[in-house]
Amino acid sequence: MADTVVHEAPTAAPHAGPAAVHGPSHATSTGLSNTKLAMWVFLGSDCLLFGGLISTYLLLRHRVPPGQGPGPTDVFDIPFTSVSSFVLLFSSLTMALAVGAIHRGDERRCRTFLLTTALLGALFVGGQAYEFTVFVREGLGYTTNIFGSAFYTLTGFHGTHVSVGIMFLLGLFILSLRGRLGVERAETVEIFGLYWHFVDIVWILIFTVVYLIP
Amino acid sequence: MSPDPEPRRRHPLRRLLPLLVTLILVVSACAADAPQDTLEPEGPIARKIDNLVNPVFLIAAGVFVLVEFGALFLAFKFRQRRDSDPDKDDDELPTQTHGNTKLEIGWTILPAVLLAFVGLFTLVTLFDIENTEEDMTVQVTGQQWWWEFTYDTDGDGEFTDEDLLTANDLVVPAGQNVRLEVTSRDVIHSFWIPKLAGKKDAVPGRAHPLTINADEPGTFVGQCTEYCGLSHAFMRQRVVALPPDEFEAWLADQQEDADRPTDEQAAAGADLFRSQCSVCHLARGINDDEFADAGEGTEQLISAKAPDLTHFASRGAFAGASFNLWVDQDGDEVVEADEIGFDSGGELNHGDLEAWLRDPPGQKPMDPVTPEEVEAGEPGKGMPNLNLSEQQIDDLVAFLETLE
Amino acid sequence: MAIVERPTAPLELPPGTAVTTRPLGVFTRPQATTGWRSWLTTIDHKRIGIMYGAAASFFFLLGGIEALLIRAQLAAPGQKLYSADLYNQIFTMHGVTMIFLVVIPLGAAFMNYVMPLQIGARDVAFPRLNAFSLWLFLFGGLFLNTSWFLGGGADGGWFAYAPNTGVTFSPSHGMDFYALGLQMTGIASLAGAINLVVTVLNLRAPGMTLMKMPVFTWMGLVTQLLLVFALPVLSVALFLLTFDRLFDANFFNVSAGADPLLWEHLFWIFGHPEVYILILPAFGIVSDIIPVFSRKPLFGYPFVVFSGIAIGFMGWGVWAHHMFSSGLGPISVAAFALSTMFIAVPTGVKILNWMATMWGGRLRFTTPMLFAIGLVTMFTIGGLSGVTHAVAPADTQQTDTYYIVAHFHYVLFGGALMGFLGGLYYWWPKAFGFMLNEKLGKWNFWLTLIGFNLTFGPMHILGLQGMPRRISTYAEGFGFEFWNAVATAGAFFIAVAMLVLVANVWVSWRAHRADPVDPGPDPWDARTLEWSVQSPTPTHNFDAVPTVSHLDEVWHRKYEENAEGKVVRIASGAEVAQPGDGTGVHLPSPSYWPLVMAAALPLIGYGLIFNLAFAAVGGVLVLLAAFGLGMEPADDPEAQHGPAGEGHGNGHAEDTDESADEGADGEEAGGEAVPAVTGASTAADRTPEEGSTDG
Repeated sequence: MADTVVHEAPTAAPHAGPAAVHGPSHATSTGLSNTKLAMWVFLGSDCLLFGGLISTYLLLRHRVPPGQGPGPTDVFDIPFTSVSSFVLLFSSLTMALAVGAIHRGDERRCRTFLLTTALLGALFVGGQAYEFTVFVREGLGYTTNIFGSAFYTLTGFHGTHVSVGIMFLLGLFILSLRGRLGVERAETVEIFGLYWHFVDIVWILIFTVVYLIP
Repeated sequence: MSPDPEPRRRHPLRRLLPLLVTLILVVSACAADAPQDTLEPEGPIARKIDNLVNPVFLIAAGVFVLVEFGALFLAFKFRQRRDSDPDKDDDELPTQTHGNTKLEIGWTILPAVLLAFVGLFTLVTLFDIENTEEDMTVQVTGQQWWWEFTYDTDGDGEFTDEDLLTANDLVVPAGQNVRLEVTSRDVIHSFWIPKLAGKKDAVPGRAHPLTINADEPGTFVGQCTEYCGLSHAFMRQRVVALPPDEFEAWLADQQEDADRPTDEQAAAGADLFRSQCSVCHLARGINDDEFADAGEGTEQLISAKAPDLTHFASRGAFAGASFNLWVDQDGDEVVEADEIGFDSGGELNHGDLEAWLRDPPGQKPMDPVTPEEVEAGEPGKGMPNLNLSEQQIDDLVAFLETLE
Repeated sequence: MAIVERPTAPLELPPGTAVTTRPLGVFTRPQATTGWRSWLTTIDHKRIGIMYGAAASFFFLLGGIEALLIRAQLAAPGQKLYSADLYNQIFTMHGVTMIFLVVIPLGAAFMNYVMPLQIGARDVAFPRLNAFSLWLFLFGGLFLNTSWFLGGGADGGWFAYAPNTGVTFSPSHGMDFYALGLQMTGIASLAGAINLVVTVLNLRAPGMTLMKMPVFTWMGLVTQLLLVFALPVLSVALFLLTFDRLFDANFFNVSAGADPLLWEHLFWIFGHPEVYILILPAFGIVSDIIPVFSRKPLFGYPFVVFSGIAIGFMGWGVWAHHMFSSGLGPISVAAFALSTMFIAVPTGVKILNWMATMWGGRLRFTTPMLFAIGLVTMFTIGGLSGVTHAVAPADTQQTDTYYIVAHFHYVLFGGALMGFLGGLYYWWPKAFGFMLNEKLGKWNFWLTLIGFNLTFGPMHILGLQGMPRRISTYAEGFGFEFWNAVATAGAFFIAVAMLVLVANVWVSWRAHRADPVDPGPDPWDARTLEWSVQSPTPTHNFDAVPTVSHLDEVWHRKYEENAEGKVVRIASGAEVAQPGDGTGVHLPSPSYWPLVMAAALPLIGYGLIFNLAFAAVGGVLVLLAAFGLGMEPADDPEAQHGPAGEGHGNGHAEDTDESADEGADGEEAGGEAVPAVTGASTAADRTPEEGSTDG
């Protein structure tokens, strides 16, 4: 929803009044565009969101009383999740390639990489959905025990972030197809890339503390 | 250009007035008779807190006076005197000072040092209280909306239903450090006897230590201080400190079962108790079987427990210590240990007890289960209206009186 | 609205290039610039600020009525004016309303209106996001309050300790409304915070370095950064509660192994920075007011700024002082006791600097100044009682008693609200083009001060006498009777004081209608940039973006040191002000998408509580609105804003790009050469009766 920053043309219309007296354009005070700065601030805020969720998970995962269903060590399939984690990590690479391509003005390649990134993201989310169904079959529902609630909430929030990212990627892809994502829009792709990398980094953290650290 | 300010002269006085009023109010406040006064400790733990906080209050009062009178002084001294020099207003400004680094550093360091001292004494007192050696331990369990006290009478180091259970009045030996293990069965409550110690939250699933100690035998009141739902205002508790030998006698007496009443009316009341009250309440020796059959109160109540009434009439209060069980004879608003029981000349508080039995939720807000909810397996909170007749109430009261 | 010229960023189009692509807006853009419709679709930060203030005032009325009901019930021992159940709802909603729907948005109101002006910007960085924040806050607050008609208000206290807020213990929908309503106002605040942070960091006028920013802007920046990082933690807590209540999760289910302290920690990690979120804007306001009416610069500006930053940092390390009796171990208690002691230092520095500013000044006791001094003196009391809470063992005697209630009312009423009232009188002429009556203002102040102390002063005594907070009634014989009666009388005193404020607005407006007096751009002989534009502020703010060379820029344009070393006036405020007749300032178009999107979220809330079909409709609307927002250009090429032929600037709007967090998926550069808004004419439209500032 980012708006404005309206550029005022230094070459004012003939009837322009005092406003036209404005000096030449000057940069934003920080040099970063508004949208990019806003994305950084938002990601900072999102860190705290995941910080809270991860802390909650760490606090609760081993508090399942005996007889209340499976705990962390009972359900995790680390090889499977490692593969899907790798898929997500790989999507960061394609995202970076997409950003590079658009900066070079290579719209076609950018388009390809955007779609690849979206597909890899979708593969990850699909893997997550599959993993969830396996866990549920093994007796770990959302309400089964406190570990289930914490696990699905944490990974669900992350999955939602990835899914939103996929929607954006598809949006960018469509824009690109219609020829509206040229080099002048490179920053849009770049800013979205920040979000995508952030979501990946968060997953590395989640994968480590949820799956790998016993 | 600036709006016309008011005449200057009345300002200082008008500023002073509310301040003076406040001061007078604060000073006169100390006179009130308040059984939960935090500033009149009656035990060593509370006194340590009091000794710690009093100098802090003094320092705060000093800063208060400095800032408030400083502001008044500034407002008076540097007010704009337009009358004396009407032209001065716009053209010439007071000396434009922008700051003074030395001053800033000074008034950063000075309060920091002051606070470091306060902090030091805070830590000393904190760990001093924390490291108090206990003479005995009692478990304190909060539930909506009363307190249960468990004495480890079988000596197994654990608090279970096999131990002695009492309610409302926590009886302790005077002069001893009694460690309380504060916990809860439902929501968070907080156990607080201001004259004996600070408060400690009763959190379900956790046991928090709190040490209390009363200098002299006496009765000390307090109430739940963590918001715990509907009847939070009516969740009170008392600590009755007895001389150590009397405490031992009390403890032995409490472990006895109740005697079946011989008096005709009380016996009728006991029958009624067995049939009507066994769903939640136990009076050992009276309704053990019925109570066990009914599921020991677990089905009716969310917190799964109602007060053990075996020695009901040995207590000074009932219904979450909301009401005095005995008439307060010396009129000090607290029923003392020596006012309890007919042996000591006590007089039962028939009015409140009968009113309670007539309609408990009318006396204290509660959310008991309706018969339909019981059918649906939904437990409630507190005691329902049993629709007893006046005759039944009289019989029950006669029975309850015998539970000494 | 033209904000500032962008650097040659990758997205930038070469100046003056007419791009002829059609906009992707789904419907036609709203056109109105006057009338109530224009307020619904406005993206003008000033109108948004005013609406924030109006909405917060409405909630203040609700919260105030709740306060009076509380005090009426507690006026005498054993009263049963209404049920304990209702009492619990009223005190909960009083707290929630006053904190989330009054003090935070009042801060937002002032920051929205004043901060862009103080930094010399034409609007905030994302005006439509700003409108979204406003509407979502308003609808979230209304959503929360509709619970009164849908089964009862929240009854868990404002900090809602689990497990008392679970379905078992709070079966009505009140806590659902609490969790979802605060989630909405939280999103609103977060969006607003990101927006204002970017605005202050990015849109400062040339020459306005960080250390030349007015203190109000500084404190606003710190506040917004605190919001950015504190709100997600509250969000997590509220999500957990919502999932527990609506989807049977186990986060606070003790029998499933939950630890209720989790909620306490999450809530207070948000909750303590929140305290500074509430008070810092007011600190900023008095830091602006006191120098103006002392005719001196702020004493120790860098120290005031850095102490504000220090508070912002240290505020993260003190949360557990709300939990000294919660059963933390002694080590944690000791650590948090110490950190809490030391956060008093930067606060004290501020108070001393304000007093040093008054020292040697020539004080004018206008209403804003009185309220500012009111803050200094009253907040000090709250600060001192705060230090006694830091003494952890003593806090176990004080916490959850009326002593705490007294403390935080001295901080929030004696601090924040006093500051806001001062700010209201101070900036009123800038916003509305007429002064509030000074005589009534002084009545307002003194009645407020007396009523406030009568109400909350006695609560110190009540608390130390052992009266717990949140009790629906109390028995005789505890020494609570007299002071409760006094406090109740005081509360009605405050109500009268607030009526005087309402009367003042009414009387002043009537007087202005009858006999308009232009307060001029600079009625207080003030120091900062907002006083260099006409009153009321023209729609486009600045005819020309000012170039800043000093802290207190406007003051430096009016005063100079003469040959004898005396500081003398060289120009009047009117002389240094911009005429407000800017033409060729291109303003972006209003939009109704923020309104739609904000209205859809409560629909989702109702849906989650009552029927998921509503949630589905709400979800679709959110997507639609996100699409609309993303697709419409910031500026509508078709729009005819100003009178035709008035002077056409050739500025073109650039709709920069979608924001990743809103779900929009594309946008269009809508940059045809468009008729420029003539700022002057819109300013005149807005307040036609006041005579225009047309050049």
